[in-house]
Formats: sequence, C-alpha cells, structure tokens
Amino acid sequence: MDLSITYDVIVVGGGHAGTEAALAAARMGATTLLLTHNIETLGQMSCNPAIGGIGKGHLVREIDAFGGAMALATDQAGIQFRILNASKGPAVRATRAQADRLLYKQAIRSMLENQANLHIFQQAVEDLIVQQHKIHGVVTQMGLRIHAKTVVLTTGTFLGGKIHIGLEQYQGGRAGDPPANALAARLRDLNLPVGRLKTGTPPRIDGRSIDYSELAEQWGDNPQPIFSFMGSAAMHPAQIACHITHTNEKTHDIIRASLDKSPMYTGVIEGVGPRYCPSIEDKVMRFADKNSHQIFLEPEGLTTHEVYPNGISTSLPYEAQLALVRSMKGCEQANILRPGYAIEYDYFDPRALTPSLACKAIAGLYFAGQINGTTGYEEAGAQGLLAGINAVLYSREQTPFTLGREQAYLGVMIDDLTTLGTQEPYRMFTSRAEYRLQLREDNADLRLTEIAYQLGLVDATRYAAFMKKQIDIQNEKARIATHWVLPNSDISRALQPHIGDISREYNLEDLLKRPELDYPVLKTIESLGPFPDSEAVCEQVAIQIKYQGYIDRQEEEVERHKKYAHLTLPKQLDYRQVIGLSHEVAEKLAKNQPLTIGHAARIQGMTPAAISLLLIHLKKHAYDQRQSA
Amino acid sequence: MSSHVLPETEDTIVALASAPGRAGVGVLRLSGKQTFDILKQITNNTPSPRHAHLCICRDKHGEILDHALVLWFPAPHSFTGEDVAEIQAHGSPVVLDLLIARCIELGARMARPGEFSERAFLNDKMDLAQAEAIADLIDSSSAQAAKSAIRSLTGDFSAHIHAIAARLLHLRMYVEAAIDFPEEEVDFLSDGVVLQQLETAINLLQQLLNQAQLGAMLREGMTVVLAGAPNAGKSSLLNRLSGDDRAIVTEIPGTTRDLLREHINIAGVPMTVIDTAGLHDSQDIVEQEGMKRAKHAVSHADLCLLLIDGHKQTERDVIKLLANIDLPKDMQAKTIIVINKIDLSEEHPHVDTLNQHACVWISAKENQGIDLLIKLLLDTIGFHPPQEGVFLARRRHITILQICYDRLTTAMHQFNKLKAGELLAEDLRLAHDKLGEITGRVSSDDLLGAIFSQFCIGK
Repeated sequence: MDLSITYDVIVVGGGHAGTEAALAAARMGATTLLLTHNIETLGQMSCNPAIGGIGKGHLVREIDAFGGAMALATDQAGIQFRILNASKGPAVRATRAQADRLLYKQAIRSMLENQANLHIFQQAVEDLIVQQHKIHGVVTQMGLRIHAKTVVLTTGTFLGGKIHIGLEQYQGGRAGDPPANALAARLRDLNLPVGRLKTGTPPRIDGRSIDYSELAEQWGDNPQPIFSFMGSAAMHPAQIACHITHTNEKTHDIIRASLDKSPMYTGVIEGVGPRYCPSIEDKVMRFADKNSHQIFLEPEGLTTHEVYPNGISTSLPYEAQLALVRSMKGCEQANILRPGYAIEYDYFDPRALTPSLACKAIAGLYFAGQINGTTGYEEAGAQGLLAGINAVLYSREQTPFTLGREQAYLGVMIDDLTTLGTQEPYRMFTSRAEYRLQLREDNADLRLTEIAYQLGLVDATRYAAFMKKQIDIQNEKARIATHWVLPNSDISRALQPHIGDISREYNLEDLLKRPELDYPVLKTIESLGPFPDSEAVCEQVAIQIKYQGYIDRQEEEVERHKKYAHLTLPKQLDYRQVIGLSHEVAEKLAKNQPLTIGHAARIQGMTPAAISLLLIHLKKHAYDQRQSA
Repeated sequence: MSSHVLPETEDTIVALASAPGRAGVGVLRLSGKQTFDILKQITNNTPSPRHAHLCICRDKHGEILDHALVLWFPAPHSFTGEDVAEIQAHGSPVVLDLLIARCIELGARMARPGEFSERAFLNDKMDLAQAEAIADLIDSSSAQAAKSAIRSLTGDFSAHIHAIAARLLHLRMYVEAAIDFPEEEVDFLSDGVVLQQLETAINLLQQLLNQAQLGAMLREGMTVVLAGAPNAGKSSLLNRLSGDDRAIVTEIPGTTRDLLREHINIAGVPMTVIDTAGLHDSQDIVEQEGMKRAKHAVSHADLCLLLIDGHKQTERDVIKLLANIDLPKDMQAKTIIVINKIDLSEEHPHVDTLNQHACVWISAKENQGIDLLIKLLLDTIGFHPPQEGVFLARRRHITILQICYDRLTTAMHQFNKLKAGELLAEDLRLAHDKLGEITGRVSSDDLLGAIFSQFCIGK
C-alpha cells in the first residue's frame, strides 16, 4: 500500500462484492487498493458452501462474461456440479456447484494477488474522508489516511453486526470476526437512510459423526457442467456426493418447546429476515401441517469433515440446536462443530443510490453487496463488479455504466434495488425478470462480453474465444437457413419419424422451428453435416431458432417503450408543480427521486395518466428553459 | 412488470372522437403506424390524403357494419403528427362499438383518455402554451374513464373477472414456484395439476367472454317478427322504425309466401325484421304453408310484434289472431300488440295491456306513438342504451379478456407440445399482466409473496 499516491479506487471489504469490485477496477487499469480487516478471509464463503442456482447461476455467468472471478474460482473449487431445471427450458436452466471452501478461497486469493494494478492491505476502515459531499479517501483503524478519487464500500453484514444464539447476543460481523462499528457509526452520521436486516446460518456438523449408510445420496451431473465460459471440466477437483435427511415430528417438538428461548419469537430480533430462506423455527411454526422438511447435508470440502446441513438455519440456544440435529436420521450421534446463529446488521436503503451504485449524496462513494440489502454471494459479486466499473469511470470523469432490465439479471437487480428498495434481504429469482427468455445462462457472453471488452474488462484470450463463437454461430445459422430438404429425399425420410411427411421443399431452419424437431436430432443425420465441433455453438443455434418468435416479441416490447423510458428527469424537479398529479403520486415521486421516466413508471402506484402528465410537464419545462435562456 | 405504465409510442390507437351520447354522426379516430392498413382493410378502399370518401365498412366476414365518410391524413400533416384517419359513421353506440372492435381486431388498441392530444402535444403539433389544458384534459378524462370502468365492472362481470384473476395468480404461483425452487419437494409442472388448472381458467374465460359480448344478439342483431294482416300497415311501420338508420339490404322474396326480411337499426340496435306476409286465418293450402313458416319464425324470434288495424279490427280479432299463432311459452312475454291507424280511430297514443300482452296505440302514417313503441320494444328485449363511457369501458374490458384468452390458449398449446415450463410461464405472465389492467397489476414481488406464503420454501 502506497500512502504517497491517490488511488483511483479504494475497495473496503474482501468478500464477494469487494473482490469483484477490486478485480474489475484493476482490470480496467485503475490504480486500486483493496482494504480488508483480515487477508485470510478474502473470498470467504460465510454461509453455505455453494455457488449458483436458479437466478444466481445466471448472475455468475454474467460476472464471468465481464471477465470476473466467481465462475472460474468455482470451476477450480467445485466438488459437485448440477444443472437445475434441465427440463423446463433453456432460460430457466441454471448451474449450481458445491464448492470446497478452502479451494475457493485459494482461487480467489490467487487471482487477487496476481492482478496487475491491485494493492491489498490488511487494515479495518474506521472513517471516510468526505469534503463538500465528495469522497477523498478513508481513515484506517491505526489512523492511516489513504487518499482516493473513489471508494467502494462492500462491508457485508459487518456494519453494526449483532449475533444471536438463543437469548445470548454479542457483537460480530460473522462468527469469529469483529463488526465494523466505528464505520457504521460514521455512516449513520452521514444521514444516509439506514435499516436493519437479519439473516441466519445453520450449525455445522462433524461429518465423522454422521451415519450416511441410511441416507439418500445426491451426486452431480455427468458430464460435469462447467461454470465459466473459459472453464473446463479438467479444472474441477475430485467430485463427491451430498446426502439428504429429513426433520420429523420429534425435531418439530424440540423446536416448539424451545421457542421461549428463540430471539426471533421473543422479539429480541428487530431486523427483517428473508421469506425464502426461513429459519427452521419459522418453517415449523408457519407450516404447521408439514411434518417433515428435507435437509441437504453438504460437504464443506475435500480436506475437511465439516458438513453444512442446508435447511436448518436457526438461532435457538445451543442445547436445542444439538437436540434438533440429533433427532434427524443419520445424525443421531452427530457432533456440532460450530453453532448456528442469526445476525442482524445495518443496510443502506439502495434507493439512495443511482443505477451505477453511486451514492447520490456523496460523490465518488459506491455501495455494493449486502450493505445494499441483498443476500447471496452471487448478488454481492455482481454488484461489486458494477460498482468497481463505475468507480473507475468516475475517477476518469467518464459517463456512468448501467445495464437495462432487458440486458442482464444484473440490470434487473440494480433496477429493482434502486427504484423499489427492499424490505427483506433481496435475492435473485428468475421470476423477477420480465425478459427472462432473453436473459439466459447460455447467452450471457453474447449479451455482455462485447460491452465488457469495450470497457477494458476482458483479456484478449477471452475476447478471441468469444468472437470465434459468435462467428461460428452465425455461420451455422446461415448454413441451416439455406439447407433445403426436398420431399421424398433421403433426408426427409430420415426426418419422417419426427415431423411426418413434408409436402414441399423446406429449409432446415423452418423445420427446426417446429416443436417436434430438435437440433440434436439433425446431428444424428450425417449427410446434414458438417456440424460445428463446439457444443456451445450448437446449443445457441438450437435455442435461437426455436425461441425466435418469443424473443422477437420480447424485443418488440422493449422497443415499444424505448422512446420515453430513458428520458431523464431533472434532479430538482418539484413534483407538486406538475399539473394534475395527485398529492400521493407527487409524494412518491419526490421520495424516490427517479432518474428517468422508466424508473418513475416502476414506482408502485404509478398510472399511465401520471406518466403522461410528467411527460407534458417535462416538455413544457424544457420549452420554458429555452425561452428564458 | 409495470412497464405497461410507459407510453407505447409505436402503437396505433383508436377512440371515439365525437361527443359522447347518441348523435346522428359518430366520429372514430385512429392514429399510428398501422392506421392506413387498418383503414384499407375495413373499407376495402385506398383513400387519397385529405379527401372525404364514402365507404362501406365491413367486418371480417364481409358483413356490412355501416356506411361512413372516411378521411385519411398521412403523417406529419395530421392532428397528432402521426398517420391519422377519421371514420365518420352513424351515431349508434352499437355500430361505433362494432367499428372500434374491428379496428382492435386489425391491430389497434383503445387509446387512453387524452392520448390523442398527448401525442399531438409531444409531437409538437400543439402550442406548448396548451400544456396545462392538455394536462387538465388527461386528468379529468382519466377520472371519467375510471368511473366508467367501475360502472362497467359491476355485478357478476366483476366477480367473474376477479375470480379468473385469482385463478391465474394461483396458477402462476405453482408454475413460478416450480421454476424458481426446483429443489423443493414437489414439481407442479410434471404432476398434471397445472394443466388441469389452466384448462379450468380457459373455460371460465371463454364463458365470461360469451356473456360479456353484451349478448350475442347485439352483435348479430335481434330478430323481430312482424305479424299482421297485409293491410295493417307493416311497411309504413317498418319505415318509421328504421328512420334514418334504414339499412340497405332487402332480400328479394322467393315466392309471395316466403318470409320477407329487413335489416334495420333501432336506437342503435341492429335488428332483422321478418315480415310474415300472411299471418291470418286461412284454409288455403299454400297460405297454410306460409303460416307454418311464420309460426317457426315466431318461435325462433327475440320479439314478436302483432300489428292490428285499429280502424277495422276489434279486440276479438286480436284474441282470435293470438290463438291462431299459438305462441310458444317463452314468447308470451315477448309479444307486443301494436294497434295502428289511431289517426283514423281518433285514439291517443298510449301503452296498456291487452289480454296479458303489452299493447301500444300508434299511427305509423302520422308518426304518433312511435317513440312509445321503440321504448317498449327495447324494454321488452332488455336493452337499455348504455351511457357512452360505460360502453367504451366495456369494450376495453372485452378486448383485454380476448387477449388474455388468446394467451392462455397459446400457453396450453405450447406446454402440450414443447413441455417447456418457461414458455408456459411466459404466456401466463402476459395473460396475467393483461388482466391486471382491469384488476390491478400483480408485481413479481407480490407473486413471490404468494409463493412464500403458500409453500415452505428454503433449503
């Protein structure tokens, strides 16, 4: 760390948001400093040892398309890879991997240490240097003043973190780590809108004390799915299985009997927890008619016996935790290695941020990850990437970079957060994306790598591979579109079992649009070749042809709204002056301060008439200004 | 999501441009890229710019909807600055509704309140000083439209729409849960429940659409049988009833004993009037055949008018005639006795009952009591001229239901063929979003909330 220079970007925090932010900034050539309170915890998976899943896998692939770390690190650390939703269509298909915690940390650490332009320094940050609503750097625990043009805060659950186990509680940012209280207090002083959230984690079990003999095994897919566009199965370490057990009535009795010592049910915890990731106490109480819940026993790694029992997140006292674990099949003799706990922490209302994740109140300050009210490594990493990019652009006085809802899950997430805020830890789901059919894992590179390259985030190797893939897809599509099949030909006879007889000449593209015929079937007919070698290319051709109609319709939808969606609203617009706007709507607009008409339209309670009134006001406003100029 | 709130500038919009209420002439206005195509298809004509053309407007089956004066204003020299057309038709709300429905069928959508003015303003076709006036217009007409929508959505119609919306939410809850939470223990997509629920929703929507068409009779017109002696004054009554809206088509009868059909328009309701030439007591075999046909016509009619020559015929003749026709039970209440020629019998136009039938005294020749007859006629068939706002609101709702229905049937078809849950989900989303324009939008977060409250999610 160099005290004599002014960094372009300082990233505070070494979790998933912080590492992606620091790596992205450094890849773009900015002089970057990553500050962490403990270098040993860089890339730490604080909760479950898995990356990806529905919606989340999509984010990981998008980060990867930008040249980010998460997918490649997972390919180097994944000990079980699966494709979820394989049968439900390509858009909702998602990759999920169990990761060896240690290998993952090593992979991330190695990428950070080998990244040019990136300095790493171990020091907790206690203060921000802010002058005239502009960031100038940070002050560390030992009083070092480090100067920077921009600061990205990725402090996760560490701000004002409070850990609950039963009715006991202590301050902490994660089990075993101190909270960042000084920084939390400082940020509260800056008058940014702050709230409290809660999340939880299950107790960890010593795998040697589990009897797996009676439990169902769950193996990964074969062939092994690959996460990164630049990854390969050869990178993967040894693959192992997960196991499945269940809670039962006895488990539920133990939980019910312990509720008087639950911080959640006695009102000790004020923060709001996620609905989709309830504690086991919540599951038992809210779904009383369900007498069993599925619990996945996930190995934490190849070189450890630690097991993560996914599904029994709890903040009950330790005695109850031990009893409930031991009530489950296979776990009768189980020993707990670490207790489960709930953690409450500060988050900042993301509506105080722009869609480039810049703090509206303090120029040059960026927020990413759980600090913005999200949950999950993938959500954090994706935000980190975007914040890192924008910090660099700001330091260079360039236009901010944002992504639309039609471009990426990352765009959906940022738009949801910055226009609607969040009342619970925000997690990505595919149902949040109205352009879901376009935002697939398989085309994340086609959607984003060109943009990433323009921004300077992608190296030559990745870009060359991407260009080749694009050309191969175009060539194969052109070939398919001009390959004609004649009635009563050998080919039409070969296709007959799938599509029946054809009455006239068709090209292969038209035939492939039929639901009955799939591209892999074509590949079985040798005379229709030569087919591309790359599976990824074949997959793209197949999906693009089959889904053309749907994708055209979604693109039309985007196009229809384009004219006004990006029209910016003046910063100091007095909504009470807009004729015809109801008091209620004007107030909502004033509170949310939307940047564009598109943002305004997504604020709850907005009507078409209200938007019309805004447009008319804007036009008049622009005219009046021209008149007075 | 809620992008529906944004202006859709590429759309072609249609709306009634003339003042609400029944008038001699009603003006429809179209604006947007598809305007010319729509105009061409309705009129089968290629109008030249800024010229008035008298055209016959037809529905998709080629049936005549109306004769109208059509004007075509290519962009940018038009009211909105886009391609604009005006169709000046007869003022009947039903005819105008059918014309709007036809435009929608051809790709237009109903304009939002004030949208023409809004487009004109945003395309620099209006003085910027008028901003306030336009804003006021949008504000007040939106409020008016909202009121009309509520009036249109009363009773069963509203209950059914909300029931369908609830079903769709339920359905989507299952489908989206299966997609976003595949590691939970139940897969709703593969167990057939979803398909069955989808089928139920489609059936409900179909029923509702049928009912919502304001009675199929309004669409295709009602059938009125006009019975009475040849000299009772049927043709003069027919002329009186049709007034200015006199329809064009008169079918040439095959024989004198055939039924004569006239298409007329009473108070905006299209009607087919069947003149049963010789409905009277007769022993003649040929005439008996005519009687048979007349009776058949009566039993299939929506309404029967029994015309009596008040000057020559007595009450006894009426009773005899009624006995002769032998009205089917369900026609008893739908038969009106019309006593004509009161100018000769020197009676006053009035309404009364005669032998348990509604009876009205008129003079077709002197135009006395015709208004009483029309009112009685419309009351009897249960048609009350709706307020204009309600009429358009209802049209808006029916359009939405139709789109919703189309989406759901596509969803069904796609899922049966491709088995891809995500395509099913997409069509369901579009259908649900569309219905949300009536029932209020359900955001993705609301949907997730429904999922979390129903299913124990969280591995």
